[in-house]
Amino acid sequence: MEQPSLSSDTQELSESEESVYSGLEDSGSDSESSGSAEEEEEEEEDEDEEEDEEESSGSPSAPQTQARGFPGQRRSLQDDSPLDEYEQDSSDEEDIRNTVGNIPMEWYQDFPHVGYDLDGRRIYKPLRSRDELDLFLEKMENPEYWRTVQDRQTGADVRLSEEQLELVQRLQRGQFGDVNFDPYEPSVDFFSHEVRIHPVTNRPADKRSFIPSLVEKEKVSKLVHAIKMGWIQPRKPKENVPTFYDLWAQEDPNSILGRHKMHVPAPKIPLPGHEESYNPPPEFLLSPEEKLAWEQQDPSERRLGFIPQKFRSLRAVPAYSRFIHERFERCLDLYLCPRQRKMRVNVDPEDLIPKLPRPRDLQPFPTTQALIYRGHSSLVRTLSVSPSGQWFASGSDDGSVRLWEVSSGRCLRSLTLGAVVRSVAWNPNPSICLLAVALEEQVLLVNPGLGDRLLVAATDQLLDSWEAPEEERVQPVRWIPASPEERAKGIRLLVQHDKPVTQVTWHAKGDYWASVVRNPGGRQVLIHQSSRRWSQDPFRKSPGMIQCVQFHPLRPYFLVASQRSVRIYNLLRQELTKKLQSNCQWISSMAVHPGGDNVICGSYDSKLAWFDLDLSTRPYRLLRHHRRALRSVAFHRRYPLFASGSDDGTVIVCHGMVYSDLLQNPLLVPLKVLKGHAPALDLGVLDVAFHPHQPWLFSSGADGTVRLYT
Amino acid sequence: MAQLTARFRTENRRFAVEDVPFSVPATSETADLSQLINKLLAAAHEDHKYVEFDFLINGQFLRLPLVTHMEMENISTEEVVEIEYVEKYMAPQPEECIFHDDWISSVQATEEWILTGCYDQTARIWSVEGKSIMTIAGHTEVVKDVAWVKQDSLSCLLLSASMDQTVLLWEWNVEKNKVKALHCCRGHAGSVESVAVDCTRTKVSDFWKETFVFLPTDEEDEMEEATPLATLSGHTEAISSVLWLDAEEICSASWDHTIKLWDAETGDLKSTLTGNKVFNSVSYSPLCRRLASGSTDRHIRLWDPRSKDGSLVLLSLTSHTGWVTSVKWSPTHEHQLISGSLDNIVKLWDTRSCKAPLYDLAAHEDKVLCVDWTEAGLLLSGGADNKLYCYRYPATASDVGA
Repeated sequence: MEQPSLSSDTQELSESEESVYSGLEDSGSDSESSGSAEEEEEEEEDEDEEEDEEESSGSPSAPQTQARGFPGQRRSLQDDSPLDEYEQDSSDEEDIRNTVGNIPMEWYQDFPHVGYDLDGRRIYKPLRSRDELDLFLEKMENPEYWRTVQDRQTGADVRLSEEQLELVQRLQRGQFGDVNFDPYEPSVDFFSHEVRIHPVTNRPADKRSFIPSLVEKEKVSKLVHAIKMGWIQPRKPKENVPTFYDLWAQEDPNSILGRHKMHVPAPKIPLPGHEESYNPPPEFLLSPEEKLAWEQQDPSERRLGFIPQKFRSLRAVPAYSRFIHERFERCLDLYLCPRQRKMRVNVDPEDLIPKLPRPRDLQPFPTTQALIYRGHSSLVRTLSVSPSGQWFASGSDDGSVRLWEVSSGRCLRSLTLGAVVRSVAWNPNPSICLLAVALEEQVLLVNPGLGDRLLVAATDQLLDSWEAPEEERVQPVRWIPASPEERAKGIRLLVQHDKPVTQVTWHAKGDYWASVVRNPGGRQVLIHQSSRRWSQDPFRKSPGMIQCVQFHPLRPYFLVASQRSVRIYNLLRQELTKKLQSNCQWISSMAVHPGGDNVICGSYDSKLAWFDLDLSTRPYRLLRHHRRALRSVAFHRRYPLFASGSDDGTVIVCHGMVYSDLLQNPLLVPLKVLKGHAPALDLGVLDVAFHPHQPWLFSSGADGTVRLYT
Repeated sequence: MAQLTARFRTENRRFAVEDVPFSVPATSETADLSQLINKLLAAAHEDHKYVEFDFLINGQFLRLPLVTHMEMENISTEEVVEIEYVEKYMAPQPEECIFHDDWISSVQATEEWILTGCYDQTARIWSVEGKSIMTIAGHTEVVKDVAWVKQDSLSCLLLSASMDQTVLLWEWNVEKNKVKALHCCRGHAGSVESVAVDCTRTKVSDFWKETFVFLPTDEEDEMEEATPLATLSGHTEAISSVLWLDAEEICSASWDHTIKLWDAETGDLKSTLTGNKVFNSVSYSPLCRRLASGSTDRHIRLWDPRSKDGSLVLLSLTSHTGWVTSVKWSPTHEHQLISGSLDNIVKLWDTRSCKAPLYDLAAHEDKVLCVDWTEAGLLLSGGADNKLYCYRYPATASDVGA
């Protein structure tokens, strides 16, 4: 009231009872005594107000002053009394009536009191017997209800005063609680760029500010010494020279986009001859008829693009009439010149050849002809090596089967059979001494009588131990025991087919064998069991013209090569397992790798197809080494070798390494061309076979010999 | 270089020349040097007759012009080269050609008789003059090998091995000219390819795949089956040749690329020599203690049977063009051996000249299957042309010293 700075609000408030105590500055006017008396009254009345004060008392000054604004009645009085003032300022806790502290007041819900005062006495909740209805009625009837709040620490209802309401509203509006606080006061800039007369602080200046620094002196003396000695060059003035950048400095002249690479040389123009001369010899000048013909010719057909002219001197030569025209054409040429250079790909043909190991590193393999087995008088169609590797059998067109000793080239036995021997097959089981011979429409099972006598006898016993079944079964062939004369020759059984037999082959166990019959459209393949004398036709319908068949060396599969494809049947499940497409015109022969996962096929169109059964049904590799039709292919049982014999009289030995690692494809390297057989009757090598243990190769040819290569 | 300085020396006193360096033309060959020595000898001795000499430089026969040889052998031509000379070995003189009915698979000769095994299932005894004395028929299959066991003036014991899986021991009464089969040795499960008799003439070994050692008993009155003393199994393939090194050791060569040495007493494997080709034949010389093997890759290789690491080839003699089917050391000369091959040629080798043989005996018209060399200097070779050729190989005076 005394202070002119008070706002109008406070002036208005001052009219009420409490307004007297509202400000901070308006303290001094009231008397001590009255203030203290009133203070005590107030304390008793509004305990909750004090609680508010206590809460806010810890916070910084501005809100505190605000908070103190409205309960100021008592405060201002305290301010006046020096004792009270100290009491107020000494501690925050002093005003607290309830000593429970800052705890959830729900804990006192069930008690009649809400805490304890400083002396340890209970502070009792005000008596509250109002129910919902009373509350509702009060809400409806009490006009002060909206400004009544409950003090949770005492449980008493408090009616907010006008000043408290205003404070709440100001805070809700986001304004400062203190009415007198001006947030937009102009600030005083003490530390400005302007030099003031008086210092900001009254601190005396440092001594170092007026005493020269020894450290700097030392540093300067060092620099001066360095300059004297020439160690430091004083800075040169910058020369004002413009800098340039070479745009193409980084450009690789050899790059495709390099400018020199893009240079297209102009086409060479033929040098001028006599015709271009200003004074050509008369024979180069055109006669009138020629000139007429020249004019009638199409410009593109003319031999000369101009008519030779004769001038008496160089001075008389007129200006070139086609100058503009020619310039234009030249510009047109430049404009239309193809900017895209066609880069010719330079490939060294050596790089295209795959890197193969040298044959010398793949020893051993047959390299030279060692022995010639002579004796047959006609072409030797077929041969088969015994599982011991000591003998082999050969069948010829002269109607005989000969048994040879490998090491000496001696013919030990000769069976004259009187018809073309199409195929011989030695039983692969070392404990059975048996040879199957395909002779016209018969297959003879011959005991060659070589090797261990016990084995020979055991084989005979095995064949003779057969007993006729009680009921006769219908068989596609007839099994005929040999007559005594035939038995003396070694023949034990005759299997009579109805058509000429072209091939016989044994199963690895040595009991089953298969025969191929030339019977297009009808029954072509038969599987026989020699111990039970039982034959069967495995196929209901014939799969084309069958060239040859093979038993799988390990699994119960049966491979059938027809003209263009190889079918693999599962004999146990009696179903087609796989069909290999050979990309050849006409398969002539087939061999199965002893590991069982690879098959090679020779064809009459001089190709050899290697199939990897794990890889694909198409050939893994198609080898075209021979110049004429392949007649026979063979795998070695132990060494990674395979061979093919052809009509051109050569045998080609190749390295065929099969890896157990499934990720690695077979390695095929052609090793050696073995020559020796003389072509006869347009045929060369007819059959090839490997020695079972040694890296030796047998080949039989149309010249009636069998040759051994080692 | 036109001239070389050479010093000549010889073991033979009779042909010794002065021990001074001579200057000889660098391109001179054996004939020139031989002439030079003869001239020197003629100057020294009045009664000297012309003798052909052969020359050795560092133990190698001189076969090329002197300078070429020295370049090949990396001998310095600056220094004085020492040349040893020996009397030239005379060419073997053909003596007999004995005709057989079939291929000759094996031959073994003594001083008086020649025993041959033949593919017509017989073994034959011939006199060294080529007269047929006896034909022993008893096998039912091809006779693959024959061997003398014992010889004296009245009766001889001999063995024949055959493809019918038996070895027969025969007693041949010389005076009555009768043979009697004493024992039949069975036990093989294949044809018997080779048979060997040990030095003391009591034990016999043979085989196909396994080696059996038989001890023939002395009972003579009936033909008895002999049982094997020991079975030496270890070869994985056919055994092509077997022999006794001495009384305790047996050596066998096989198609599985190994030569194995066995202890005859215990039957244990002592050591293995590993080659890389099939062995066809093996021969041992007690004079130089070397094994010679003939294999299918046309080389003759010399081995030291005592070497432990087993795969060391001392020397290989290469001149044949086909399989070497049989080799035989000279019983009297430590450097010489004879070999027969499928290229129809029998070659006489000196180990001091491994590039070229001493002599080629090219009489056969077909494969040579067996060779033999007797102590009397008789070279024998039989082959697929049904002929057994005999050569007389004169032992030169220098042989005696060697």
